[in-house]
Amino acid sequence: MIILRLILLIFIWITPVYGNSIYNLIKIPNLEIYEINTENRLRYLYAKSSFRLGVQKNIICENSNKKDLDNKYNLIYKNLNKYSYNFLKKINLKYIVLCENLSISGINAAGIPDNVMKTLILDVKFEQKYFERVIHHEVFHIINDQHKELFNNNEWKKFNDSQFRYAKCSTCTENLGLDKYENTKGFFTEYSKSTVSEDMAEVYSHLIYLDAEKIKQIQKLDKILNKKISYIKNKIQIIDSSFKF
Amino acid sequence: MIKKIKATTAEKIIFYFLILLAILTFSTFFIIKNKCLFVKNYDPQKINFDKPNNIAILNATCGNVIIELYPNVSPNSVKRFKKLIISGAYKDIAFHRVIENKLIQAGDLEFGRKGSLNYGKIGTGKSGLGSIKSEVDNKFDYKKGSVGLARTFRNDTEDSQFFIVLQDEPLFEGEYTPVGRVLYGLEVLKKIKYQRHSEYILRPDFINSFKMLN
Repeated sequence: MIILRLILLIFIWITPVYGNSIYNLIKIPNLEIYEINTENRLRYLYAKSSFRLGVQKNIICENSNKKDLDNKYNLIYKNLNKYSYNFLKKINLKYIVLCENLSISGINAAGIPDNVMKTLILDVKFEQKYFERVIHHEVFHIINDQHKELFNNNEWKKFNDSQFRYAKCSTCTENLGLDKYENTKGFFTEYSKSTVSEDMAEVYSHLIYLDAEKIKQIQKLDKILNKKISYIKNKIQIIDSSFKF
Repeated sequence: MIKKIKATTAEKIIFYFLILLAILTFSTFFIIKNKCLFVKNYDPQKINFDKPNNIAILNATCGNVIIELYPNVSPNSVKRFKKLIISGAYKDIAFHRVIENKLIQAGDLEFGRKGSLNYGKIGTGKSGLGSIKSEVDNKFDYKKGSVGLARTFRNDTEDSQFFIVLQDEPLFEGEYTPVGRVLYGLEVLKKIKYQRHSEYILRPDFINSFKMLN
């Protein structure tokens, strides 16, 4: 035991300190700068090699090849460029981490938002069909986490039919479909029915992703979604009155 | 009669070699001991500055570090920084966090003072003047030599601690409040004591003085 301790001490003693600015800022290892000169001052970073996060190291993401990164970066940049520097500052989002095969405790995830670290991790290999909309879905989680006082779960639940119940958590249900319903009936997707915050995020992401005409149409046809859309719009305007949908 | 013995060529070579070795050993000893030997010490009185009122001179072990402060970039933070400099608060304060060729940090007025260093708390001390708001909205290029105010994990917690980057740090823009940039004397900062295995320094170097030029 003493020898083991001694070896450990020697190892610590001979291990030099390499200040890693990215790690010091957002506590994610193995990252490098992809692009930092952007209009809205978002900093795009990519995984040079796979990394694990969390107290139990249950968040895992792998590095991507350059071609995939370049392709997806353009899409991500186009979508996130809709947000102004001022808005991003208000919601506390600054770093976008690009990697692939992102998972939390073995469950695949499109993104992991962390408003405290001002970071959004995005899986560049997430299904192409939903990819762009999902970016805004994850942005909403940042908004929600940063402005918890604005988004009231009970108010939101009242928009639904009184019989409806959300699942206990976003992964506590098998209904995780992201395809938009033809007949919405108060929910944009199957995944909307999982939890209040996922429902809000789905409304928000469709609000950003779909064109204004389509949204107007939905609002006319679906009374519940009309209330939900108005609610989200109203709250976002409170955060930033100059925000344009 | 003493017979004169003539040294052979080989003996002469060995003799000269030994003398050379002795000189080298002797001089190397002094070079190693004196870490400041090749560091230029700038005299601020011999330099013309565009804005002399914004020039601060930090004197460390190996000489002067001449810093230009930028009140137009971070007015409140520079005001606080100047106030502390003028009051002499930084005298005998440790460079408590040093990463070789990357960053030096000092300014813990509570736990970093010579004679009363608190290794358990160094880096967490305050000035007593209270925290100030972060000023990170103005564009600022964190090039080598940039001086910024340190903060805790949260914004708006800047106080007296500051850091100087020894390499370009583009990601610091928008994160840390910039207050100035080193004009002369970066080499002096590179000689500040660091440890290869720890960012926090045991028996650190101290600021001898930190004054405004005018």
